[in-house]
Amino acid sequence: MRQLLVRVGRQLVLVPIVALASYFLMASLPLTVEEDNKRQVSPELAASYRRDLGIGEPLGFLRPWQKLFRGERLGTSAQGVTGDELLLKLSGSVGVGLVALALALVWAMGFALLKNRWRRGRLSVLGDAVPAMAFGTPVFIPALLLAPTVVERGHMLPELTAALVISVWPGVFLGTLLGDALETELARDYVRTAASKGLSRGVVLRRHVLPNVLPALLDAIGPVATALLAGSFAAERVFGLPYFGQLYVLAVLQKQVAVVVVATTVFASVLVTVGLVVEIVRLIVDPRARESRT
Amino acid sequence: MRRIPAQAWVGLALLGGLGVLSLLAGRVFPEVLAGTCPLGNDPTHPDRTVCELAFGGLWISLAIGLSAGALSTGIGLVVAAVARLAGGTLERWVMRLADAFFALPDVLVVMVLQLAGQSLLDAGSGAGLGPFGLMVVSLALVGWAGPARMFRNRLDTLEGQEFVAASRALGGSGAHVLRVHLWPALRPFVLAVFLSRLPAAILAESTVSFFGIARMEPMSLGRYLGTSYAALIYEGGSRVVIPAWLLLVLLVLGASLASQALATRTRQA
Repeated sequence: MRQLLVRVGRQLVLVPIVALASYFLMASLPLTVEEDNKRQVSPELAASYRRDLGIGEPLGFLRPWQKLFRGERLGTSAQGVTGDELLLKLSGSVGVGLVALALALVWAMGFALLKNRWRRGRLSVLGDAVPAMAFGTPVFIPALLLAPTVVERGHMLPELTAALVISVWPGVFLGTLLGDALETELARDYVRTAASKGLSRGVVLRRHVLPNVLPALLDAIGPVATALLAGSFAAERVFGLPYFGQLYVLAVLQKQVAVVVVATTVFASVLVTVGLVVEIVRLIVDPRARESRT
Repeated sequence: MRRIPAQAWVGLALLGGLGVLSLLAGRVFPEVLAGTCPLGNDPTHPDRTVCELAFGGLWISLAIGLSAGALSTGIGLVVAAVARLAGGTLERWVMRLADAFFALPDVLVVMVLQLAGQSLLDAGSGAGLGPFGLMVVSLALVGWAGPARMFRNRLDTLEGQEFVAASRALGGSGAHVLRVHLWPALRPFVLAVFLSRLPAAILAESTVSFFGIARMEPMSLGRYLGTSYAALIYEGGSRVVIPAWLLLVLLVLGASLASQALATRTRQA
């Protein structure tokens, strides 16, 4: 339990570190120069940046957070959002990410079983080719190819397609790990014993092998869940979903520095929460994890 | 010397072939592509053919991947070596820092670094970095943590072997052991890690460029795809996207095949 708390503490420290790092990075930006360059911000806009970030004021670095908790608009233009809007957009992205995670687990299970079946046949090359193909395809490419047919239709189809698109490579990645673990586990004595006692392959797999393989999957789910949330940025952009990824990209493009600071910290908090949830689930489902901590 | 696996040769040949092809088609003889491209001109860049843009982008993406991969691998190697030499509390803190960096998503951090770097460039204080250098530095700053963790673990394993203990017993200093005994054993692993960073850097750059945040000219594959997606959506022109996608897949496939084969071989050694 103590080790778990230490890990929780280490992860939580990440949030204020990210908050301060992103604040001071934004606050140190040279947002104005004398030359007449269309990419530069005007002196008025630069002054409002300084106001938004509280630069030159005592405890000014708390300004974005004060605005967030008072429900004021973050940012300098009409695109600046309130804390409530930010959370609403975040919940949209997390929803797409959760659907994608469920889909990724389905892909993973399917690919692991297929990889295991292909192992000794002529199709064994597919076990290497499919992951390479999946890893080499950025999320935005299948999104681009599907976008023309789904964007106009609406009715949650863009959200579901976004979840489908971002679930592919994490699913194949988890499937590769699961497939390797399955291969190791299926060669063990207890599997041979169970099979020799007349249990079918499916029953051996479900009752004996999968419970031993799932903890290996949980180790990888944390980083994958993170990648799913970050990966949804591109899909949201292509499918025009008005969620957190779209907001973040626009905030960066429009130099909405206060929005970038708050959104980066909120996103880091989500990642920490995901890490903690995965850790707790691992403790619940894997007795070996509990024993190693007591 | 152990035989290099066939899979690694296939990956390296694919990478080398794409590099030569992009050099010849995109840089040395671009006029050939301009005259013979069967896919026609790009709707959003009417003066350029799809082939010119795809092969030109391939050259830039490959250059960014190689530079950022090499820089992040180098930083990771130095961090891991310093941490192992220092040992104790410093090593623990350095590795925790690496873990904290590793937990952050690449694309998000690169976007923030691009915003900061572009503001510096606009203000004329970019330390001589152009958009290309800025992207390479951003990707390296994000990507060093994974290699550092892998190198530190590998060094830890190697240091447990008998020949290292013997060298220490004979009075070899930490730096001597690292230079004479550990580095030769680590070299193939360094190559495998470098090759594994290559696709990660290329994909992160593609995604950030796709958003329109990077300002690279000539365009990388990601930026090209990003500027063409309006044409794809509104004109149904998949011919614009598919060649660049295939080149990107082949690039990442080559690096992944070589990296996986070399990493497996070094684990077995």
